[in-house]
Amino acid sequence: MNGPIARVRALPSWQVTLGVALLALGFLIAAQLQSEGPRVRYTTQEREPLIQTALGLQAQQDQLKERILAARGTIAGLEQSGQGSAALVRELNQGLEEARTAAGLVPLVGPGLVLRLEDSEQAAPPGQAGSDYLVSARDVRSIVEELCLAGAEAVAVNRERVTVTTAILDIGGSVLVNSAYLAPPYDVAAIGPADLYKRLSESTGFVDFVRARAEAFGIRLRFAELPDVVVPAYAGSVTLRHARPVTGETTQ
Amino acid sequence: MRAPRAQIALAAVALVLGLLVVVQLRAQTAGSGLGELSAQELTILVANLNQRNDQLRTEIATLEGEAADLASGQAQGATSVGQLEQDLARVRAWAGLDAATGMGIRVTVDGPIPGTAVEDVINELRNSGAEALAVAGVRVVPGSVVAGPPDSLSVENTALDDPFEISAIGNPEALTGALTRAGGLVAQLGATHPDVSIVVIPVDRLELPATLRTLVSEHGRPRL
Repeated sequence: MNGPIARVRALPSWQVTLGVALLALGFLIAAQLQSEGPRVRYTTQEREPLIQTALGLQAQQDQLKERILAARGTIAGLEQSGQGSAALVRELNQGLEEARTAAGLVPLVGPGLVLRLEDSEQAAPPGQAGSDYLVSARDVRSIVEELCLAGAEAVAVNRERVTVTTAILDIGGSVLVNSAYLAPPYDVAAIGPADLYKRLSESTGFVDFVRARAEAFGIRLRFAELPDVVVPAYAGSVTLRHARPVTGETTQ
Repeated sequence: MRAPRAQIALAAVALVLGLLVVVQLRAQTAGSGLGELSAQELTILVANLNQRNDQLRTEIATLEGEAADLASGQAQGATSVGQLEQDLARVRAWAGLDAATGMGIRVTVDGPIPGTAVEDVINELRNSGAEALAVAGVRVVPGSVVAGPPDSLSVENTALDDPFEISAIGNPEALTGALTRAGGLVAQLGATHPDVSIVVIPVDRLELPATLRTLVSEHGRPRL
């Protein structure tokens, strides 16, 4: 019962547990320190109430979007079960289904691409703008534009559907899409033809983007070609306040 | 494990471990991104969210009103044809499937401007409430992208002349203000592209054509 092996075997199990726990602790501390990358940190106290307000408003926004989707579903159901000349109602409902799909109000699934944009892992050299090393709204718009030019039929950014009224803006080091606050990484999902990635990678605009942003500043770009990319429905306002249909040119 | 000191030590390690796991997990959620914004940026975000939420509430009120009308109308045996026709016309105009008319602005762009800068202008107009847009008479819908190097721009296989026009239906003051405010996009482009001139004028009545693109996805199917 002497010797090193016997002494190791004699270690109480709680000491082994403690050792493993300390090891895990060390890894987590290292991961936490590493995740505090080049993003700037602010520490003034007045921000806390603003952050709470923003979080509350975001939670409200999510609920409101759910209600919009539910209300649209209810209306579609009621319209389909409506009365009136059966043939006319059927025709109008079909037209509505097509119009809603074209408008981006229907979630779609199909073959396509997901492109992931992430901030650079490089730190900005002294004297250079740190913002160059973060994914900007311009970067996200460039990817969306290039995907459309390559034949994408439906696009979403972190589940926000790109529609006729979609604006993509900078806010701090993050972006707003459809006025929803999105934090990186940004997953741009696109449904399109089988050669979507091939066309994308051959486009001058995309090549320039990779050179100017990924190679120069280390903005990380990864992609996956998938058979079942989901592009969610647009859950926003489709109300026209200033525009109206030109009468006499709509289908009757 | 009977020594109380050892138990306390293990409990302390477990506590710190647990705290770090929570902090690390919370760092993965979108909410933590807010921690990096300044007070001014947070104020802008809050204003944006408030405006957006108000729009969404208005939309919900409209939709729930429609649903109530439909439900009560059907209970009385009325037809839904009128409601269907209205909905159809509105969605088609919004989506760009039909021509749209209304007040707005006309933006005349002259000079060697790259496609990405034109897209920046369109993005800014969308942000300011443009409900329908056209570039050189081509209705802008998802998929329409103004692309190309300066002096060689095109949108949907239509080459753009120099100068060309961007038309936007919406509140003329809001649209004009968004572009021409101090430090706004026109000012920024004036600095980066001094040979480009951008003139914005309000218009009482614009008529934008329907899109010629097919908007229904060929490869995507509705996700039930």
